[in-house]
Amino acid sequence: MSLDDFYRQTILDHYQNPRNWGTLENPDITANDANPLCGDEIRVDLKIKDDRVEAVRFSGKGCSISRAAASMLSEAVEGKTLDEVKQINRDDVLDMLGIELGPVRLKCALLALKTLKVGVYGVQQHWPGEEDDE
Amino acid sequence: MIREVKLTGSTWNETPWKFEAGTMNIADTIAFGTAIDYVEKIGFDAIAEHSRELVLETMRLLGEIPGVRIYGPPAEERGGIVAFTLDDVHAHDVATVLDHEGVAVRAGHHCAMPLHTKLGVAATTRASFYVYNLLSDVTALAEGVRKAKHLFRR
Repeated sequence: MSLDDFYRQTILDHYQNPRNWGTLENPDITANDANPLCGDEIRVDLKIKDDRVEAVRFSGKGCSISRAAASMLSEAVEGKTLDEVKQINRDDVLDMLGIELGPVRLKCALLALKTLKVGVYGVQQHWPGEEDDE
Repeated sequence: MIREVKLTGSTWNETPWKFEAGTMNIADTIAFGTAIDYVEKIGFDAIAEHSRELVLETMRLLGEIPGVRIYGPPAEERGGIVAFTLDDVHAHDVATVLDHEGVAVRAGHHCAMPLHTKLGVAATTRASFYVYNLLSDVTALAEGVRKAKHLFRR
């Protein structure tokens, strides 16, 4: 995969102009998570109305892939019910990004989803592959 | 390794033989000796001098790129490594661009997370040199960093 394919225009666009970036005042749900290997930190705030995501904001620091994934994910969850948000899985996020990722960058790509799941489920999720360690 | 085995029990050999069952790792021992011969033939002074030349050039070329911040002591006081950041571009993004340019670096905390916390940076990109590196590698590194800067301009 060439560099231009990897950092394709949509990813750079979401990195440079992340959608729904920031925090919400008095969010109904808020969750933090971090990828200790990279030093990435991310926070998600959700405003819920009638069981639907009325507003979503991501904030934190991270690489282009983690920030772009958070931005794309924020657009995907707006207006969805909490049950629908729970149905979003890693393949959905990878489809949004549309690139092949190695194991290190996969964690960047999935940090936003993991944090979102921590929020909507209220539980700690596992990294991909970590299930085997239990 | 055992000394005696009976149906009712066993006795162990004396150390070190007790812990050295089977064939010793002869191949690796010989290879280790060859590796030491190789390094001594080049000479530690020559290795240090070569590394210093590459580090000096790296710090000179990277220092010309706005937004690059180099961490650590002056070139004369270093080994063959240079850790740096590029604006707010994440080290893994810098490393991915460099990887595509054929330049292999390490990105992250380098097993020194408390230091990165103290420095206030999420991660750094780190180039390491040895005897098989050339000045052209340093040029490629600097060009790659410029490419990353251009790609992630905001």
